[in-house]
Amino acid sequence: MRNSEIAISIKHLTKYYDDFRALDNVSLDVRRGEFFAFLGPNGAGKTTSINVITGLSNHQEGHVKIFGYDTVSEYIQCRKLIGLCAQEFNFDPFLSVRQMLVYQAGYFGISSSIASKRAEELLTRFQLNHKSHVKHRALSGGMKKRLLLCRALIHDPEILILDEPTAGCDLELKYLIWDYLKQLNNEGKTIFLTTHYMEEAERLCKTIGIINHGRIIKRGVKKDILQDRSLERVFLEVTGLE
Amino acid sequence: MISNPIGVLALSKREIYRFIAVASQTIFPPLISSTLFMFIFGIALGKRIDFGATGFTYLSYIVPGLMTMHLISSSYENTSSSLFISRWHNHIQEILLSPLSYFEMVLGLLAGGVARGMFVCLGVFAVSQFFSQSLIENPFLLIYFILTISVIFSCAGMMSALWAEDFGMLNMWNVYFIVPLVLLGGVFHPVHMLPPLVTIISKFNPMFYLVNGIRYSITGISSVSVLLCAILSGILAIVFFGITVYLFKIGYKLRT
Repeated sequence: MRNSEIAISIKHLTKYYDDFRALDNVSLDVRRGEFFAFLGPNGAGKTTSINVITGLSNHQEGHVKIFGYDTVSEYIQCRKLIGLCAQEFNFDPFLSVRQMLVYQAGYFGISSSIASKRAEELLTRFQLNHKSHVKHRALSGGMKKRLLLCRALIHDPEILILDEPTAGCDLELKYLIWDYLKQLNNEGKTIFLTTHYMEEAERLCKTIGIINHGRIIKRGVKKDILQDRSLERVFLEVTGLE
Repeated sequence: MISNPIGVLALSKREIYRFIAVASQTIFPPLISSTLFMFIFGIALGKRIDFGATGFTYLSYIVPGLMTMHLISSSYENTSSSLFISRWHNHIQEILLSPLSYFEMVLGLLAGGVARGMFVCLGVFAVSQFFSQSLIENPFLLIYFILTISVIFSCAGMMSALWAEDFGMLNMWNVYFIVPLVLLGGVFHPVHMLPPLVTIISKFNPMFYLVNGIRYSITGISSVSVLLCAILSGILAIVFFGITVYLFKIGYKLRT
């Protein structure tokens, strides 16, 4: 990993879907060790931004760097550093929970003995060890959410990108996930979180960015942005949804 | 060229595990259909077909053809279904987010197609031994042809899986293109038995050379230059592999 203090650097990023400009000259830096909340209404460009950062989407203009590595020309180094917890459940229907994690670790060059140990740790941490031999269809929605997190963390990434990780979770699971994310951040991991729950962002994050119509409309340290107002109030004001 | 061997191995193992887990759909059907073909065409009808001029019994003539036919279909079906289903369920993201190079991704996905094709192809040969015992004349050449043919059609399967938007489109190439060309390429008959014009056209059918390559490897008899068959097979394997890696690199229907 390059000795860069900027974990994610986005410069003048523009992304089109045919004629639709999904991202419009987006520039954004997320520092190493930051817990960053990326907020915006539906269709604002949050998931598109994540897809470009992780290399799941192409972009037309600008560039993205992960700890100084370019996501296009140095994509292999970038992918080693990122763990993505996607919004949708996208699991291999042929594999059991445990197999899924061990194979996933394998793609990251982790030997199966280390991967098995790491999978056990994560499954225990997220209370899934009793389901390790079933296929994902046998899991509840909350369990699938936890499995997505386990998969994102299996290679111990420096940056964890979470696309609405607690959507549809009950309170207990939400607290379990929040506690673990705080712990990871305290250990120095950079976390990039998108959520529609303002309480979640307010409680967990140190810095906030708000995107609307593909443009960054607010970016800064939480306390500077809030100034004794709730995040929900700020969000409604800047997005014009009030 | 391979910077992440554990990653390639993990992906290869997953692809091989996938077809073994559903062996009742991937391994046994071609073996059963080959047994029936050998019994009906080789035993029941074959005795009535005068094949003396070719130096074969009809059964020994169709065995390499059946091996090639199932090698092609198994390789193609394995990669096309695996990649298409992973696009359909979107768990292709597991691979796309991993630090595998595009070359390594294709190599890992290819492993399942090659392994299944090889398994089925040699399985058909093993089954044929119950009907007529024979030796393999050129085992190294057979391995070469099995490898190159399975690479060609595993890559073709991946291309088709990337191009297809639904299961209908996925089957289209197999039904309308590959199967007719394979059957016209001399699986069940020497092409010179066809009308003169069709015989000439058959010489432009690449499957004709692939079937001949396998047939020569087993029987030592070919109706066309084996060197030509080997060169064509090798070139096609390299070209198809290169195109597939390129499609992954540009993210064709993989990245939005």
